[in-house]
Amino acid sequence: MVSTHIKNFDTLVVGGGIAGLQTALDLGDQGYRVAVVEKDASIGGKMIRLSKVFPTLDCASCITTPKMSAVAHHENITLFTYCELNSLDHDGSGESQGIKALITQNPRYVDPVKCIGCRQCEYVCPVHIPDMEQGGLSATKAISIPFSNAIPQLPIMDIENCMLCGQCEKACPTNAIDYFQKPEEFTITAKTAVITTGFDLLAVKDNVQYGNGRIPNVIDSLQMERLLAPHGPYNRVLRPSDGMEPDSIAYVQCAGSRDKSMGVSYCSRVCCMYAIKQAMLLSGSLPLADIIIYYMDIRAFGKGYEQFYQNAKAMGIEFVKAKVARIDKGENGSAQVRYELQDGSGIATTDHDLVVLSMGMVPGWNPEPICPVSKDSDQFITSIKPKISPVLTNMDGLFVAGAAAGPKDIVDTITESGSAAMEAAKFMSKSLMEN
Amino acid sequence: MKTINKDKEAKKTAMKELRGLRKNLIAAASSTMKIQKKDMAAIKTFLKGEAATIPEISARIDMPTDKTLWYMATLKKYGQIIEGEKEGAFFKYSLNEPEKTQEKAEA
Repeated sequence: MVSTHIKNFDTLVVGGGIAGLQTALDLGDQGYRVAVVEKDASIGGKMIRLSKVFPTLDCASCITTPKMSAVAHHENITLFTYCELNSLDHDGSGESQGIKALITQNPRYVDPVKCIGCRQCEYVCPVHIPDMEQGGLSATKAISIPFSNAIPQLPIMDIENCMLCGQCEKACPTNAIDYFQKPEEFTITAKTAVITTGFDLLAVKDNVQYGNGRIPNVIDSLQMERLLAPHGPYNRVLRPSDGMEPDSIAYVQCAGSRDKSMGVSYCSRVCCMYAIKQAMLLSGSLPLADIIIYYMDIRAFGKGYEQFYQNAKAMGIEFVKAKVARIDKGENGSAQVRYELQDGSGIATTDHDLVVLSMGMVPGWNPEPICPVSKDSDQFITSIKPKISPVLTNMDGLFVAGAAAGPKDIVDTITESGSAAMEAAKFMSKSLMEN
Repeated sequence: MKTINKDKEAKKTAMKELRGLRKNLIAAASSTMKIQKKDMAAIKTFLKGEAATIPEISARIDMPTDKTLWYMATLKKYGQIIEGEKEGAFFKYSLNEPEKTQEKAEA
């Protein structure tokens, strides 16, 4: 398919998570015209899917939603959601070249101009599919808006699970359903680009010693975020195997991180803090539950983080310095955790109602073969000046911010996004002065 | 009028072609939907009589507890059931019958 649409901007931001949103806002507020390209159906990234943030315990949605809304309504920012980036490179040859990106708009099978986001299509759809926005713990429909505060408020039709029964079309008050929509290619040209593609969690199924995701009631930390969120799958913390309110919950730290056998030899930096945060939230919602964190080291590196850790201990959360060797299926839906205590007192086994694996962070996007930007040995994008300007990459005019360059928390991500916006603005004004 | 009829006819033909192209996907989705409909009907029929916990529903309708919870979470999301009081470590669920709730409130 040959792209016929060319759209011109000052900066292209790849990724609509918190890093991308902050970068876009910082540039848009300076008068630069910014395009944000996002692969998901909504902007917001991982942060909008969290319950609360450490160390302030602010509601994640309350911080992210206004930023999402500000981006969506900004006169200088254009959003392209549900898109695929096919290529990203310098436009032409020589040193003064800009950026050119080839993008595919995936079909939603809904006309974005006609749709009013009323959800009538979702309510009448008879097919239920696992809701991955809720960690697969509940269902959504084959046509649905991804989550309640998604931006844009447009449904996506999952054609793999659509019966073409026509019920959504009949229910739609604005005739927005379009079963014949096709992918559309377009080109974005810009003076600069910022990569903010974030991270993914290592899949639980890859972790053999912790059961490959086959042991009931062993979940990952993002699933626990959904259980803790007020608009989560059960609206409370329940055990996914049978709906029991758990009485004993364990966190297994460094599940994947700092483990060469998993291909993640580095520390994911945020797992200690989010496990402590989740443990504190759990002790609030389940005051009688025993909460244990099995850890190798606690890395409370940021401002106020050590105090946060001490507060968790004071609340009664138990910290056991141990390396978990394996997890097996226990009795009555429990998970049996076998661990080696680091004080030399040997090996022990404990049964828990629910086990949360703090899985390692891996890059959310592989630039190969889409973009020639260089990667580090950890597969995150290389910062060529990690000490003095961590947002610079080996490509002129292309910057990186947030977890795309390596694991980091929200505070550092937002700071880095501001820095990337500043570097991009500097690059554009320098080019303007030179010309 | 003629144009409208022509458009309708063209769409009908296009839909027929699309159904042909997606024949296998449609068959799989229809089969999934039928199972889901039956499972959810079994849950709702049981809940007509009394409020129950996940293990109780699961035992009664012979469905694994995790699957029962998955359906219950979904039915709750779409407003068809409501969560009630806790019994031991489990919550009880009942059908969401707005008329009955209103009657109770008025009484």
